[in-house]
Amino acid sequence: MKILLALIKKEFKQIIRDPSSIIIAFVLPFISIMIYMYGINLDSVKVNIGIKNDDANPEVTTLVESFGKNKYINSIPYDNEKDITQAITRSKIKGAVIIPNDFSKKLSKGESSEILVITDGSEVNTANYIQNYASSITNDWLMTSKYKYLVTPPIINTELRAWYNQDLNSHYFILPGSIAITMTLIGILLTALVVAREWERGTMESLLSTQVRRIDIVLGKYIPYFCLGLTSMIFNVSMCIGVFKIPFRGNYFVFFLVSSLFLFTLLGIGLLISSKLKNQFLASQVSLGIGFLPALLLSGLIFPISSMPLFFQYLTGILPPKYFIIFVESEYMAGTIFEIVVINSIFLTILGTILFILVYKSTNMRLEK
Amino acid sequence: MNSIIIKNLTKKFGQITAINNLSLNIEEGKITGLIGADASGKTTLIRLIIGLLKPDNGEISILNLNPGKQKSEITKRIGYMPQKFGLYEDLTVIENLKLYADLKKQPYQFEKMLEFTKLSDFQDRLAGALSGGMKQKLGLACTLLGNPEVLLLDEPSVGVDPVSRIDLMKMVRELITPQTTVLWSTAYLDEAHSFDKAVILDKGEVIFNGKPTDLADTTKNFENKVIELMGGYKKEISKIAENYPTVEQNIEYSVEADNLEKKYGDFYAVKNNTFCIKKGEIFGLLGPNGAGKSTSFKMMCGLIKPTSGSAKIMGIDIKENPVKARSNLGYMAQKFSLYGSLTVEQNLRFFASVYGIGILNRKERINEILDIFDLREIANQKSESLPLGYKQRLSMACALIHNPPVLFLDEPTSGVDIIARHKFWNHITALAKKGVTILVTTHFMDEAEFCDRISLFYKGKTITIGTPKELKEKANAKTMQEAFIKLVQEGDK
Repeated sequence: MKILLALIKKEFKQIIRDPSSIIIAFVLPFISIMIYMYGINLDSVKVNIGIKNDDANPEVTTLVESFGKNKYINSIPYDNEKDITQAITRSKIKGAVIIPNDFSKKLSKGESSEILVITDGSEVNTANYIQNYASSITNDWLMTSKYKYLVTPPIINTELRAWYNQDLNSHYFILPGSIAITMTLIGILLTALVVAREWERGTMESLLSTQVRRIDIVLGKYIPYFCLGLTSMIFNVSMCIGVFKIPFRGNYFVFFLVSSLFLFTLLGIGLLISSKLKNQFLASQVSLGIGFLPALLLSGLIFPISSMPLFFQYLTGILPPKYFIIFVESEYMAGTIFEIVVINSIFLTILGTILFILVYKSTNMRLEK
Repeated sequence: MNSIIIKNLTKKFGQITAINNLSLNIEEGKITGLIGADASGKTTLIRLIIGLLKPDNGEISILNLNPGKQKSEITKRIGYMPQKFGLYEDLTVIENLKLYADLKKQPYQFEKMLEFTKLSDFQDRLAGALSGGMKQKLGLACTLLGNPEVLLLDEPSVGVDPVSRIDLMKMVRELITPQTTVLWSTAYLDEAHSFDKAVILDKGEVIFNGKPTDLADTTKNFENKVIELMGGYKKEISKIAENYPTVEQNIEYSVEADNLEKKYGDFYAVKNNTFCIKKGEIFGLLGPNGAGKSTSFKMMCGLIKPTSGSAKIMGIDIKENPVKARSNLGYMAQKFSLYGSLTVEQNLRFFASVYGIGILNRKERINEILDIFDLREIANQKSESLPLGYKQRLSMACALIHNPPVLFLDEPTSGVDIIARHKFWNHITALAKKGVTILVTTHFMDEAEFCDRISLFYKGKTITIGTPKELKEKANAKTMQEAFIKLVQEGDK
């Protein structure tokens, strides 16, 4: 016990004196949160579209006006199609609406009339958005114009409500999710270097010739970095809640309990990398490769798991961030939901325990197997 | 009584046999020196004895315990100091001692240790900021904690100056009990000669086991006998020097240092260092660890900017025109500083290109170098896997690939065995005869004798300059070693 305490004390002193672990634990998440907050935005931003009206009927000009009256769309009038083509090619506008000269004439006759909506298909989301927007604007306009007698009012009214996130503000789920991604990187990186460092500097050989037991070495790494990781987690969460006012509807106690489990699995991955590779440079490379990238791409935060190929869907099963992201999002937006907490905690505990056993097994007490 | 009994021990690493059917007994209460060429199996043997490695064949018993099965029992009763002792560089001296005391379940009683290591005044200094000699003393102090019954020291005096080496020896001799068994691996034959027993290893086999005084009465004779046993060394004409172009120059001094100074904060690492080296002269820069030799060296190469003063190589100021000055310079660094993952030939090709050898001449030059330096048969091996002697020869080849008129050598023979050192100095003295100017640092005092002139450096200052003979006369000493110790001690007063 005394040996373990001595090792933990030593590790803390090294953490305090070596700026790199402090940078990993606090500066890295700060930068990352800033990027997720200000750099990434999945909401529709203001889009420019072109509009060309060939119909001189004054009633139609109100349609043109209503295209401009929206906080997400800015419409720019054009006189000829050539200019529109050019503007789209140069990405000045993301789409265009062209109203033909017989538009109102056909309507007055009670015939079906057409407008042309061009979109830039290279940006699919924006293109969809403009298409939907254009059809809803024309429909709205039709209901209020003098041609409204042409349509029968709809019998069913759709009433739209987004639960947990009324304004559909994407930051509300990206930022909590980003904690999971950032913590994955930090948790793995913190420990990936520390065992390798002992091998590289030759301190491991000296340790192995003292009365240190295997469990001392393993816990002597887990415990200090668990404390550092948890502090980093608290720092992250307080930034999200305190500075960026992301609503938190869950329970802090449950949150940190499950976070601890998550951290436990991550430290395991890092220590496993470190004790297998025994080389700091390689270990940090591998950490990015197997820690950060899958967490970002396969955890379900940005790309939904259900739309992945079956193989990848199974693969995500061994990624700790997958379980944590589900939990974090529900905790922030919906509040503590018992089933989600329990199921994800069970998975994290299983993964963490397996990793702990692997770390223990791969901690050599000799210079060779 | 034997503390360690080894029977028919064999250990292989892949194709290489490190220990070959070796049997050996180490007597209790004696200091046994372990001598051998590079890659003769010294480190492997020590690691096998304490159970850090497992034998392929044979039996080992230490204190009647089996290291294969009872490693944790053994570690309670022994002290082991690896070649690279595991000091935590970001912990202070006292914190390192406390840590190792805890790990060995010993009380915090360090007064005697601190007194012996002369580290009392540096208790709160980070271990990383200590000089090489101090680090080794601290490492030894940590190893000695808890009065181990068997002490295994793997080359503790590599890269350590003569004064600190005496301190290390004194620590071991005075801090152990009469029953303590010591196995001390060393490249210094004067050390080995002073021990109770000597074991000489060659290619993983014991070729001598007995009292060093049985082999020879004096250190010098002992050295010759050991060389003989290890296969002998015959002085040959240096092929390297023979193929080296004779240096023509019309300036008087090839290397000049004028009042070089380096200040870190309030601390002078180097203070008014002045010397001039003539063409074809071998100039030795000697001094205890931490005296400022490396700093001076780095300033001379233009790797560190001096606070004041200037240095000239072949008349070119290194501060004003570093690239041109350096093109006249070959530099061999203290540590092996080639690319480990590249092969021998790839390393040569790389250095040929950075030293500006044209693409057309490069192939021819590399072929030449491979022959001259006897590197042909290992041309396609990765350089990190080479034995130390080969690495050193490759480093020299890279430093000389562009035929520079000036050669800087920073502890080039640190950790190299005696025969390889003789071969190395044979090349150096022959190169000097061809007109190559050489600046060298070393901790081997027998090597200092090869220098034409020596500058003795202590606490950042030159305390004396002269020929080896002049220095010995000045200190009224018989050997360079004695002169070094006396002059440094005078410098303390």
